[in-house]
Amino acid sequence: MATLETARVPDAGPGPAKPDAKVARRERRNWRQYVGFTPAAIVFGVFFIAPLCLIVVYSFWQTKDYNLVPDFTTKNYATIATTDTYIKTLGKTILMALLATATTLAIAFPFCYWLVRYVPPRLQRVLFLLVILPFWTSYLLRVYAWVAILGDNGAINVLLKNLGLTDSPVRLFLYDTPGVFIVLVYLYFPFAALTLYSSLDRFDWSLLRAGVDLGASPMRSLVTILLPQMKLAMVTAGIFVFIPILGEYVAPEIVGGTNGVLMGNLIANFFAGYLLPLGSAASVLIALVILVLLVLFRKGLDTKDIYGS
Amino acid sequence: MAHDMEVVNPRAGLFRVILTAYGVLIYLFLFTPIAVMVLLSFNKSKVVGFPMTGFTLDWYSSLTQNMIIQDALGKSLAVGVSVTVLATVIGTAAAFPLVRAHIKYRSAVRVFITLPIMIPGLLIGVAILVLSTNILHLQPSLPIAVIGQTVLATPFVILVVSSRLESLDRNFERAAADLGAGPVQRFSFVVLPLVYPGIVAAALMAFTLSLDEFVVTNFIIGSDQTLPIYIYSQLKFGITPEVNALASLMLLGTITLVVVTTLGLRLIKMLTAKSRQEEKTGVPA
Repeated sequence: MATLETARVPDAGPGPAKPDAKVARRERRNWRQYVGFTPAAIVFGVFFIAPLCLIVVYSFWQTKDYNLVPDFTTKNYATIATTDTYIKTLGKTILMALLATATTLAIAFPFCYWLVRYVPPRLQRVLFLLVILPFWTSYLLRVYAWVAILGDNGAINVLLKNLGLTDSPVRLFLYDTPGVFIVLVYLYFPFAALTLYSSLDRFDWSLLRAGVDLGASPMRSLVTILLPQMKLAMVTAGIFVFIPILGEYVAPEIVGGTNGVLMGNLIANFFAGYLLPLGSAASVLIALVILVLLVLFRKGLDTKDIYGS
Repeated sequence: MAHDMEVVNPRAGLFRVILTAYGVLIYLFLFTPIAVMVLLSFNKSKVVGFPMTGFTLDWYSSLTQNMIIQDALGKSLAVGVSVTVLATVIGTAAAFPLVRAHIKYRSAVRVFITLPIMIPGLLIGVAILVLSTNILHLQPSLPIAVIGQTVLATPFVILVVSSRLESLDRNFERAAADLGAGPVQRFSFVVLPLVYPGIVAAALMAFTLSLDEFVVTNFIIGSDQTLPIYIYSQLKFGITPEVNALASLMLLGTITLVVVTTLGLRLIKMLTAKSRQEEKTGVPA
């Protein structure tokens, strides 16, 4: 313990001296080095931060005779909290995002494990490119393609009919919640795979062998050595899947029908119907969920010191 | 090397078979929708769905007569080019101070910059809509869509360019400075040639992102139609295989663009390496 402490004392050994704090401060004060930030700061400030602040402000205003009035009220939030459909949809959206995220991670992890460990490097690069390829096709048509797969005249129903298993189309998935779930997992799988793959790719596999040499079963060394190190990547991947689903409105609209409505659809409808304050309040609620998540995510980032390097 | 699990586990052979089968299943899951989309672009029936009634190329040829689609394509390209230029310039400019300025809370700045990626497009879309109509008193239009997409694309540019910049050895610039190069010369003859593959990749990313952007654009574009907006309007009324044909062509176009750029970058790298080699061997000391 004592040696560790002394080892951390700066300038205690050879090597570059620690920069003087005064010099560092003077260097930070040189404004010229920040000039490059200016265009980005203007664009982000005016068209990203300002609009989001505006949404927060409007969520506390109200409309009178179709005009927005700067009258402070929490009525909009109360409306969402007390209207059965709204609060149920919010709960359903969060639940759906959780379930879809968990499923996506669960199916992406073994896939990436296979890609990293069982596929030769050259083929691996090609196969990995194929995972990202869907990003280059129309997002809308990828969603719509599921109508052609799950729908009445869809591939699955035609197949079932030709096999003589059914007479009339099965409407198990389309225009309902399960259909939305499938499409969401499909849409966000590449995001999860990207993160998990790059993390697994950096993993030192000899550690697993070390575990086995020390008497652990292969399964056990996977669970006790690999999984803890993948925690951070799992959290990051989860965030990248969870957050966009909270705002998803296209997939529910195309494949969800009336039962598959999510919060994103409500928000889009509020704004389309000029219900600015109500739409703003709903948006703020979604943003709050994200904020809470990002704060938790920061804790997830801290584990880097424990498991990383 | 990669298979040391098999060395220690006699059942690894079975494990391998199961995992490979699983991998194939995942690719089926990922590519069935795209295959269906392309397949149905050749379907004779006007309804997008199975069973296929016959093979035809009519939908591709009718694309050339569809003025609405051509107009949308033109607008998509115009928006895409504008967004690419704006995002690449703004993002590259910001990447330099992000990597090189003496910032105390660099990681905080980095997190801030990635915020537009983290926040759902829906929220960004409605927020910009509200800003432009209620504060700026501008009706949704093509330029506003360009700005909205620039907000989305710039973070990607910053991330890509800054990671390239981080791996750059600053001794090259110090050497150039020692040899009397001024800041402008150092930038254009030393930094830029080393960083530009990152900038090209970032620009490409911005362009493909813009070309398919729907979620944000839908709120702020007004009456104009880019391709995704056109496709969306068709989805509502039931699409014809013409849209499938269009999407298939776009997929082909994007793949071509990416492959050509990648090969181009590799070719330039090879040529410069070769000319350097020639300089080395050609000029004896």
